[in-house]
Amino acid sequence: MQTKVLAVDDSRTMRDILSHALGEAGFEVDVAEDGAHGLEVAARFKPDVVISDINMPRLDGFGFIEMLRKDRELGAVPILVLTTESAPELKSRARAAGATGWIIKPFDGEKLVAAIRRVSA
Amino acid sequence: MMQTETITNPTLKKTLVTQGEFATSADPNEVLTTILGSCICTCMYDPVAKVGGINHFLLGDTPKDQSQSTKYGVHSMELLINGLLKRGARRERLLAKLAGGAKMLNGISDIGAANAAFATQFLEREDIVVIGTNLGGDMARRIRFWPATGRTQVLMVQNTETAKIEASLARKIAAKPRDMGDVELF
Repeated sequence: MQTKVLAVDDSRTMRDILSHALGEAGFEVDVAEDGAHGLEVAARFKPDVVISDINMPRLDGFGFIEMLRKDRELGAVPILVLTTESAPELKSRARAAGATGWIIKPFDGEKLVAAIRRVSA
Repeated sequence: MMQTETITNPTLKKTLVTQGEFATSADPNEVLTTILGSCICTCMYDPVAKVGGINHFLLGDTPKDQSQSTKYGVHSMELLINGLLKRGARRERLLAKLAGGAKMLNGISDIGAANAAFATQFLEREDIVVIGTNLGGDMARRIRFWPATGRTQVLMVQNTETAKIEASLARKIAAKPRDMGDVELF
C-alpha cells in the first residue's frame, strides 16, 4: 500500500514543490496550508507520515504537533518538521511537543524521501 | 542624494545586503541598501506592523540547475517572509516591490528576465500583493529601502562591474558545499 504523506506549509510554492517531489517518489500526498487546516486534512486523509513547517498563520507547527499528538487515532503518526530554522531551542521545543525529526530547508529531495521511508517503516 | 540624507540625518543606520543575503528591520532610522544588475531585490513590508526587509538573489542560468536554482530563489523568499513574520508581520498584510532583473551587457546571458519572471510568479502564487516593480533595462540599480515605512528609492547606475561581480558570486554560491536538507531524527 502507498504511504500517505501530509505536507503542511503556508507557502503554496513549497506545497507544490513537496507534492511534486513526494508524488514522484511514489507517496500519496495531501497538503494543508497551516496547522488548523492540517488538523482537518489529517482527520480525513489519515496520513502515515506528516511533514510540517513551523512558521504558519492561525496554528503554527508547534501547536499543530501538540494537537495532533493528542488525537486518539493519529496520535502516534511520525511528524517531521521541515523549516528554515535551525536554532537549538526551537528544535528542543519541537521535540518536546512530540516531533519525530527536524529537517532544514532548503530540503534535499533524496534525503527527505529517505527520512520519510525510515520513520514510516 | 545619499549624501544629503546622511547630512540631514546623521543617525541613519545603513545596512548593506549583498547577493545571497536578506535583512529585516523595524527601525525607522535604518535603511537597507543593495546594488544589483541581473539579480532581484524583493522589498517587502507590513504597513500595520511597520516592519520590512529585503532579499537579494540570482538564479542560475543553465537548464541543468534550473530546479536547484529555483529552489534557491524560493528559499531566499521564504527566509525573508519568515524573518518578517518573526518580527510581527502577518502574511496576508505583506506588500512587495520588485527591482532588478536587468540584462547586463557583459554579464550572464539574459537571466535578468528569467529572474524577474520567477519573482513575479512566486509572489502571485503566494498571494502577496506587488505594489511596484522596477525591472529589466540594461543598467544596474542602487536600492534604498526604509523597512518601517516601505519607502523605496531606486537609482539607475552605470556600473559594468556589477555584472562581473554578480556572475562570479553566483558561481561561488553555487559551488559552496552546503548541508542542504540535513535530517536529524529525535
